[in-house]
Amino acid sequence: MKPLVQVKAVNKIYGKGAQTFEALKNITFQVEEGEFVGVMGPSGAGKSTLLNVLATIDAPSSGDILIGDDNVAKMKDKALADFRRDNLGFIFQDYNLLDSLTVRENIVLPLAIAKVPTKEINARVDKIATTFGISELLNKYPYQISGGQKQRTASSRALVTQPKIIFADEPTGALDSKSATDLLESLSDLNETQNATIMMVTHDAFAASFCQRIIFIQDGTLSKEIHRGAKTRKQFFEEILQVLAGIGGDVNDVI
Amino acid sequence: MTLFNLARKNLQRNFSSYFLYIASMVFSIVIYFTFVTLKYNDDISALTGTSQKISSMMSASSVILLFFIVVFIAYSNSFFMKKRKKEVALYSLLGVRKQQIGLMLFFENLFIGLVSLVAGIAIGFLMSKVLLTILVRLMGYSLTAGFVFSSEAVINTVIVFSVLFIFTSLQGYRVIYQFKLIDLFHAEKQGEAMPKASVLSAVIGVLSVGAGYYLALEDIMTSMWWRILSIAMPIVIIGLTVFGTYLLFHSVSVFALQAMKKMHSFSWKGLNLITTSQLLYRIRGNAKSLTVIAVLSATTITAGGAVFGLYYNIDKSINDNTPVTFMWEGEPLEVPQVSTHHTLATKLVTFTHNESERQYQVLPLATYNELAQEQGKEKITTMASNEGVLLDPYYDERFSEKLAGADLTANVSLHLTSQETYAVTNMSTTGPMIIVNEQTYEALEGEPTTYQAYTLQDGADNLAISRELNSQLTDAQQDFTSQPAAYEDIMSAMGAMLFVGSFLGLVFLTATGSIIYFKIVSEAEADKDKYTILYKIGVNDTQMLKTISAQVGIIFGAPLAAGLLHATFALLGFSNLLGMSITKPVLVWMAAYIAIYGLYYIFTTRAFYKIVKNARGNA
Repeated sequence: MKPLVQVKAVNKIYGKGAQTFEALKNITFQVEEGEFVGVMGPSGAGKSTLLNVLATIDAPSSGDILIGDDNVAKMKDKALADFRRDNLGFIFQDYNLLDSLTVRENIVLPLAIAKVPTKEINARVDKIATTFGISELLNKYPYQISGGQKQRTASSRALVTQPKIIFADEPTGALDSKSATDLLESLSDLNETQNATIMMVTHDAFAASFCQRIIFIQDGTLSKEIHRGAKTRKQFFEEILQVLAGIGGDVNDVI
Repeated sequence: MTLFNLARKNLQRNFSSYFLYIASMVFSIVIYFTFVTLKYNDDISALTGTSQKISSMMSASSVILLFFIVVFIAYSNSFFMKKRKKEVALYSLLGVRKQQIGLMLFFENLFIGLVSLVAGIAIGFLMSKVLLTILVRLMGYSLTAGFVFSSEAVINTVIVFSVLFIFTSLQGYRVIYQFKLIDLFHAEKQGEAMPKASVLSAVIGVLSVGAGYYLALEDIMTSMWWRILSIAMPIVIIGLTVFGTYLLFHSVSVFALQAMKKMHSFSWKGLNLITTSQLLYRIRGNAKSLTVIAVLSATTITAGGAVFGLYYNIDKSINDNTPVTFMWEGEPLEVPQVSTHHTLATKLVTFTHNESERQYQVLPLATYNELAQEQGKEKITTMASNEGVLLDPYYDERFSEKLAGADLTANVSLHLTSQETYAVTNMSTTGPMIIVNEQTYEALEGEPTTYQAYTLQDGADNLAISRELNSQLTDAQQDFTSQPAAYEDIMSAMGAMLFVGSFLGLVFLTATGSIIYFKIVSEAEADKDKYTILYKIGVNDTQMLKTISAQVGIIFGAPLAAGLLHATFALLGFSNLLGMSITKPVLVWMAAYIAIYGLYYIFTTRAFYKIVKNARGNA
């Protein structure tokens, strides 16, 4: 089967003239449909740049990124916005909820933008809210709910459009360990039961241990890749810690 | 590096963010300086005999102008300071003392003030010639205005604005001393509660605006409200309207928007959800400003419409009251460049009607028809004996006695078949006249009177001849009236009024436009993260522009619509009062107002969109 995401020889260079900085150097990898992939690496390694480039929020300097049949590296701005709307979902560390909208309205928003009929919107919102356990909160405003609830709202918003792939940038970064575990379990569940494709950037080995595969980057290049396979989450967690120790990652950050 | 250098470098580097502030300062100075220059201008006072009236009008206007400028500058200064809070916080964090920061800002303000004063006076000096020319034209003189440099105007401007600058600098100091470093670390307020509105205040709002409108259309003579409230009536009308407008923005808007939000088939489509919920906060939060803007717009449109309407009606009212170029009672004079000359023989007859006596000049039908034909007015072909037509341009159905159909008695009795509101003679010479046929004229007994009526050839210098004639008048000529002189009188007064009116109108318009601009742009700065989120979840630029222009459009449009509606009712009342039709000039004036407002709207939308787009770069 054809991979969902194909990243081919992607470079990203910031700056001009003598003061250039290569954030990504010749990155090539693939993501299959239904995979839960983690991206790890030390600060400044290019994790977020990679995610932004894949998520079409930033454009690569060279190389191709195929999501499905579309080469997003070559798309124009307007087409990109529509592509994001129809195919991608985002979860950010700082939730990025709109505080003038209720929880329900925040989740409705991407469907409204995609011009989905009102009846269908209601059905879909109720379903996703149940999945993330926020049905009781739908009429509250973001400032009235906790961080974990906010992140579940943001995840509902990302998933309600049934995107081809979900990008999560440090989704547990601002959460306490209980909320983080709840969220990761929900994501993992979605991945297993509904075959959702998720790509998550994190520096937290615990969060990463929920993934099936982890890509490590260092100084803008892919340095290592590990698979969970048949290992338990605990075993996989140990393995991640070892790799991180090897490449000098944020071991101290663990839990 | 000294503080003064730091201030100077600051200014050089951040010129673009200072530009708006400097521009509004310069604008205020230009406006004030030109106005004061015109006030002190000798040409204008020399031109007009009515200079006393005009100069007092100018003085009054400059006070209004000054008040307005103070508000405007205070507003742009606080906007500017808000933008710089972060910078001040950073200096403070780096350990610069508050006193030093204050001093730095003071130097900066001083420098900005100096630059704007010089630029403002220079531009104002150039502008004053243009404005002077317009003023002279509007007053109906053909004369080219020269450059005038009035040192009085310069001194006046410098003093006024120096005081203003000291005031704004102190405002800056206050900001620094009130500021706490902890504010820097506080994130933006974590969302505000959704506005709620009470049904009661919404209903009261609608009712009070409605009541204001109703009262404005009441007739001054017949209305019982006018009888009860008398002099207080205008204040009651204005009070009701202003209060109602505030509630309209404060409560009714919340209801309307919440209803729209609940209509999911509308709100859950595209970005309508964003548009309505943003407006819900914005309109409520800015209810006071929007009310002020609506009221200012209403005032400007009403005042401008009224003055413009009067100016527009000058020709008609002159033609009604003073249709003949020169008229007087008595002997003819040598008049140059005459086109037509009539010697009118009339009789002053004393009539009795309802047991009261009144005197009218009676004019034979043949003479009337001659004059009417010459003036392009309707001729009367036949007229029965003992019948008459009253020509009385002063007639107003509300104040005057209705005489059409009445029977007047002198030595013969006369039945008035109709009453017309035009004249074929100059009212100040002859007064209202009654036309009768030849037989009736012969039969009526009265004091015979002779009038002279002249018209001049096209292209003759009417005003010069008028002045010359005026100097030749002797006892043999009574009640001299001159159309050009009357025209000049009205024109110079009305022209100056029109000028001052449009000038102030323009200032109000610019200021209100700028205030909305400042408000929306600063709110766009605060909200730009929201639009970055939207961008990330796949909103394209077209949709983004659509929601932005809808939001800005409603914030601009709502007070404008309210202002236009208020002004319409005020002008309806005004035109009823004066009994003249001012629809056409008022529509022109409103169209001009809307057009300039529209320009502001476009600029603001573009600025908003630019902020939103730039925010993505560092997302």
